[in-house]
Amino acid sequence: MNRILSIFFGSLLVASCAKQGDLFKNPSPSETGIQFENLLSESENLSILDYLYFYNGGGVAIGDINNDGLPDIYFTGNQVKNKLYLNKGNLKFEDITESAGVEGQSSWNTGTVMADVNGDGFLDIYACAVVGINGFDGYNELFINNGDNTFTESAAAYGLDFDSYSSNAAFFDYDLDGDLDMYLLNHAVHTQNSYGKYDLRFERNYETGDKLLRNDSGKFVDVSEEAGIFGGINAYGLGLAISDFNLDGYPDVYVGNDFHEDDYYYLNNGDGTFTESLRAYFGHTSRFSMGSDVADINGDGRPDLISLDMLPEDEVALKSSEGDDNIQTQRLRINEFGYHYQFTRNMLFINQPDGNYLETALMSGVSATDWSWSALFGDYDQDGKQDLFVSNGIPKRPNDLDFINFLSSDQIKSKIDNTKLVDQEALGLMPSGTASNYIFKGTEGLGFEDMSTSWITNDTLISGATAMGDLDGDGDLDLVTNNLFAPARLYINKTDAQRNYLNLKLNFSEKNQFGVGSKVYAYTNGKLQFKELFPSRGFQASSEPIVHFGFGNSTQVDSMKIVWPNKQFQVLKDVSVNQTIIVSPEGTKPFSYGQLTPAANPLFTKIPDSLGLDYVHEEDIYTDFNREKLIPYQISDQGPAVALGDLNGDGYTDIYFGASKYKSAKVYIQTDSGFEASYYPELVRDSIKENVDAVISDFNNDQTMDILISSGGGDFFGESEELLDQLYLQNDKGFEKQELPKLFQNSSVIRPYDIDDDGDLDVFIGGHTLTSNFGVPIPSQLLINENGQFSEQKGFANNGFRGMVTDALWDDWNKDGQTDLIVIGEWMSPTFFENRNGQFIQVQGIELNGLWQTIEAFDIDSDGDKDYLLGNWGTNSKFKASTAFPMKLYRHDFDNNGQIETITAMEKNGTYYPLESLDGLSSQMVVLKKRFTNYKSFAGTTMDGLFPEEVLSQATILEVNTLHSGYLKNNNGTFEFVPFGPELQLSPIKDFVSDDFDGDGNAEVLIGGNYFGVKPYHGRFDSFPGALLENEEKVTLGNQLGLDFTKKSIRHLKIIEFKGEKHLLVVFNNDRAQLYKYNN
Amino acid sequence: MKERIGTIALLVLLLASCAPKEEAIIISPEDYHSSVDKVTEVMIHDIFSPPVASRIFAYPNVAAYQILAQKHDDYKSLAGQARDLTEIPAPANPEVINYELAALIAHIDMSKKLIFSEDRIETYRDSLYAIWSDKNETVFNASKAYALEVSDHIGAWMDGDNYKQTRTMPKFTVNSENPSRWQPTPPAYMSGIEPHWSKIRPFVIDSAAQFKPLPPPLFSMEEGTDFFKEVKEVYDISQEITAKGDDSEEVAIAQFWDCNPYVSVTRGHLMFATKKITPGAHWIGIVKIATRKTNSDFAKTVYAYTKTSMAIADAFISCWDEKYRSNLIRPETLINEHIDDSWEPVLQTPPFPEYTSGHSVVSGAAGITLTSIFGDNFAFDDDTEIPYGLPVRSFKSFNAAADEAAISRMYGGIHYRAAVNVGVKQGRDLGQFVVDNLDMN
Repeated sequence: MNRILSIFFGSLLVASCAKQGDLFKNPSPSETGIQFENLLSESENLSILDYLYFYNGGGVAIGDINNDGLPDIYFTGNQVKNKLYLNKGNLKFEDITESAGVEGQSSWNTGTVMADVNGDGFLDIYACAVVGINGFDGYNELFINNGDNTFTESAAAYGLDFDSYSSNAAFFDYDLDGDLDMYLLNHAVHTQNSYGKYDLRFERNYETGDKLLRNDSGKFVDVSEEAGIFGGINAYGLGLAISDFNLDGYPDVYVGNDFHEDDYYYLNNGDGTFTESLRAYFGHTSRFSMGSDVADINGDGRPDLISLDMLPEDEVALKSSEGDDNIQTQRLRINEFGYHYQFTRNMLFINQPDGNYLETALMSGVSATDWSWSALFGDYDQDGKQDLFVSNGIPKRPNDLDFINFLSSDQIKSKIDNTKLVDQEALGLMPSGTASNYIFKGTEGLGFEDMSTSWITNDTLISGATAMGDLDGDGDLDLVTNNLFAPARLYINKTDAQRNYLNLKLNFSEKNQFGVGSKVYAYTNGKLQFKELFPSRGFQASSEPIVHFGFGNSTQVDSMKIVWPNKQFQVLKDVSVNQTIIVSPEGTKPFSYGQLTPAANPLFTKIPDSLGLDYVHEEDIYTDFNREKLIPYQISDQGPAVALGDLNGDGYTDIYFGASKYKSAKVYIQTDSGFEASYYPELVRDSIKENVDAVISDFNNDQTMDILISSGGGDFFGESEELLDQLYLQNDKGFEKQELPKLFQNSSVIRPYDIDDDGDLDVFIGGHTLTSNFGVPIPSQLLINENGQFSEQKGFANNGFRGMVTDALWDDWNKDGQTDLIVIGEWMSPTFFENRNGQFIQVQGIELNGLWQTIEAFDIDSDGDKDYLLGNWGTNSKFKASTAFPMKLYRHDFDNNGQIETITAMEKNGTYYPLESLDGLSSQMVVLKKRFTNYKSFAGTTMDGLFPEEVLSQATILEVNTLHSGYLKNNNGTFEFVPFGPELQLSPIKDFVSDDFDGDGNAEVLIGGNYFGVKPYHGRFDSFPGALLENEEKVTLGNQLGLDFTKKSIRHLKIIEFKGEKHLLVVFNNDRAQLYKYNN
Repeated sequence: MKERIGTIALLVLLLASCAPKEEAIIISPEDYHSSVDKVTEVMIHDIFSPPVASRIFAYPNVAAYQILAQKHDDYKSLAGQARDLTEIPAPANPEVINYELAALIAHIDMSKKLIFSEDRIETYRDSLYAIWSDKNETVFNASKAYALEVSDHIGAWMDGDNYKQTRTMPKFTVNSENPSRWQPTPPAYMSGIEPHWSKIRPFVIDSAAQFKPLPPPLFSMEEGTDFFKEVKEVYDISQEITAKGDDSEEVAIAQFWDCNPYVSVTRGHLMFATKKITPGAHWIGIVKIATRKTNSDFAKTVYAYTKTSMAIADAFISCWDEKYRSNLIRPETLINEHIDDSWEPVLQTPPFPEYTSGHSVVSGAAGITLTSIFGDNFAFDDDTEIPYGLPVRSFKSFNAAADEAAISRMYGGIHYRAAVNVGVKQGRDLGQFVVDNLDMN
């Protein structure tokens, strides 16, 4: 009877513990025998208050220590002892820690890796430790595998017995001498009483600095200094990713540093040294960098990278946590302290042929996974696309704003001693930071789909180090997480035979038998999958040293190319799927890494000295957000203005650059040999104005070229003369100012056209904003020219059109023989005006509000009529908009103080939330401080909860329905909006220019973009490399065209002739202008 | 037996409630101190910068004072004296009103308007309301009605001081191109606070610039210049006193007068703030000490608070006017850049420009004002900072305390000598003007 009962209870237990997701099940500890649990106990002298990484957790490594074909698992613990579990098959594990002798001696272990350090074909175990603070003793231990399920701790003999603040390590052969060397990742702990400048990294510190150890016949020698590895006291190293990022055969290193220190991107020079190159190739990185991982996610044969941070997706956590710096603090950190751009969210970097990266985390959907530790790419559903698992959670959120501002103080009032300010009671007031782990399914086009609620069971685990391997031998990838305050969790993959796989075990050379550093290229049906074998991945962990591929329904791999670490390769043909194959070097041939970067045959060549065109635009320091604290983006950085024309009448095209506020405009005169700056005192005298656009033309028919300039800049307000657009008429003596109708506004574009057919140019002037009135649509003007005298065409002025205009295009869109007008702008739809004998009538157009930036006519579908390309904000942004759920801008004097405020709101899970934090909103509306006396009460507040209905209903609401750039496809006179593909949604598109660049007889369109005028919360739209658009299908990114656009913000693309040949002139905001020649 | 007692008790209760009590409601100076303390406590919680805090002290005191001036011939109304203030309405039925009670209620109600966490004041208020209402409902209701009417009147006056408008004025823009200009300071690098405080309507002085001090020494980091000497002096003093250790008199003085409402502490991901009272609040604490020591009656107590808090509020307006005029860089920034990159001041540098020293101006003004009320050479033991873990310090006069508060900013490493010396003079001149121009008794 008793027995029956216990069986009954036993099965109940099993049933209740074996949780199931659609893709992964979680067998219970009692089923598997894996009881390891990383329990922490806080004490008077040891808590997160004493040790900032108290909650970072232990490590986990998967590998087959006895070569029985079953991968085993090793866990490291912080205050609990390490454990080794031998895989007995059928997901049963045996704790052999004691007999194996791998329990460890150190007080506080962190990361762990398995690697065959001595090259005997058996995996050894390296366990990192934090030693020398908080009373922690011990050292990093190296357990050498005796080959009989026992180990001998031998760190000292190998020179790896470091007693420092280690997070993790990676074994790989950086010098390609055949044996495994080691990178040791350490972390800083110094109190942050001052940031310290970036150059702290140059001064080596034993405890906190990273180390590179070269394996010299079994003895590891510290070569950090000579190899160019930083080892300062400001590097909080948490992420370590090894990959041959630049595909030269030598493994490179990406180090993710927490806090203010930049991440490090060490490119291996191949001569035993590295060059830290972050700034050269990354426009920005994650800020509180944690774990990272590398995989080729878009099948282009280049390794891509994710670096994790701690941005919450959940509104409550988001709005009650400390976020990004404010803009002034960020400037200080960058300009004064010398750090790089860093933002608080995950970053996904897509590796490009020119070494730069497209940063796509926002549009890829993986930017916010809360307090994240480990990222692991793997094809979990075996469909041929890389998926992504992210572990997360923290027991206490120390960045909780209420804790920072309110709770802590109440607790510590009577305890002034600086070292013991906060006690256990205060700790209890920090909110819990548990969030369910995330899993994403890789899709086409750089996107990831969040499958967290279906593929895995929802959890409240605090999961850190994670490793993967095929634990049950069924071919698919299983995962193990090391958790705080909970048993380690196995995620057993249930894909099984539904989709096909192939596993490779590599058997390379004597000292590197597992083939660490090998590359595998698999081709099926014309599709490439590329993988590298570097088992140290994720966070404080190493995964099983195998290479796993999913192939969906393909039953055969057409060919596989294995490139060994020694740069030899071999090819396997027609490999059957659903098996594990062991590959040894056989019939290898030398591999040419040069072939991976195809011979450069770019369309454009940058002219180094730009033929004397040394124009550098300098933006002034005006910050819109200091005045209008809540506007969604700046309006003050739309310059410089550029105009081309033959100013001196010598038959060559000259260039006018209008500058930002208080900077002088510049004119470059074209000569036989290039361009020369020329001085025009009349223009310099007006340098107080900020020029946004300019046109050179002979406006008064006196056979000399004049200049018309639109002014903006967002700073001058009211009826400031500095806001007036300006006409400079040229005569023998120089330029003379000519009155224009007084438009006290921030103008945008000038688009000239001879409306009245009298031989001189009339102009459309776009009105964007009245200073300090962001979001109020204003009129634009048609100015009719009579011999240099401009007057407003009243009919147009009175037609009621209002907008935040950014661009306009004269084009006969209705094909009636009269040139019509299309006007675009922000928070509005493209607006069509029909030319009826010189009167412009607004007609029903397409209803699609965007943040439209630029328009160009182009027959993209080659059907003989003109389509209209439209540059928008792009989707790689924290802005979110759709027709069903538009992004909204509320304008109203919400606090009744005579000043209008703007509140941007976006939808999340069907409800609208304000974009800004409580601090942001209350900096403009102090009344909210009374409504919300703490952050908790504000967090999760919807727009409806922010203000009563009677107040909200009085607000003017502007909307955006799409952020996609795309084109209006002309279907016989009706227009349909078609979004561009993902590579053109990376950044705001700021200009198009059309020409036959490749000399094929057809026109193409060159596209430029990027934009930085947003608060740090939004990051920097800096990674769009430009693109050439040939038709609806074909887009080539600028980094394959010889264009240097990445990390710069384009304003104008112009074509200018020099010596009878067309050249491309590229003008940036706050950067040096570039000149390219066409190569065709 | 038990049941019967219960019934009797219930009956008594019922009877009691049927016949309203007509006890006298006695409001003592201690009740007023308690209300001031309550506001101070809420201010610490809500985090107000020193200038804003000074405004929160002043208006409730004025409301209370104006009510008392209705009753006491010894105290003259501030209407027509304080800028734009008109006479408060006369009570409808003066015979029922307890003026002390009305003054206290007005103080509480005005305070509630000014702070953020209203619930904290409401809890405090409601417990008092219950007691008073129980004692004498008629008097309580009449006094309360009058108090709230006055509070509305004073509130409307207050709303005209440009505070609301300054909330939406531009943030301070850091000028990083000029080396003499203020830069945000470690560890939090907060933006410059209240750059438009000079636009707040003052209480007594003509304009924010009325006591515009001489400019600071000409900026130069060349050795031998006056300015450089001042920078070096801050560094040298700091090195000298920190070498002596935390128990040194100078460090003790610096810490005693720190009065920083928000000292941010960052350790890794862990951040928190230690919060104390503001310089103004410290002097409000000294008002309490002086009124207690002199056994001042209720009216004199309110008078002392009112006069001192108005002087302090004007002192902040005057000081902030200069701060964003000279926009001078803090010693910490210069010392780190030019002398010692690991130097930290004894006190955390507060987030606004250096010149003149706010604490010096405010202490100068408060010292003069208190002397005008209680006389010179008024010795006292200052225990204001005890709740914040600091000891008692004794002073022989208000002006001596002000001198110490001023020099404490140099010991603290957050001000140069000029800001302290010129600041305390600026404050005293201003204080004298307030004393000379206010005719309160």
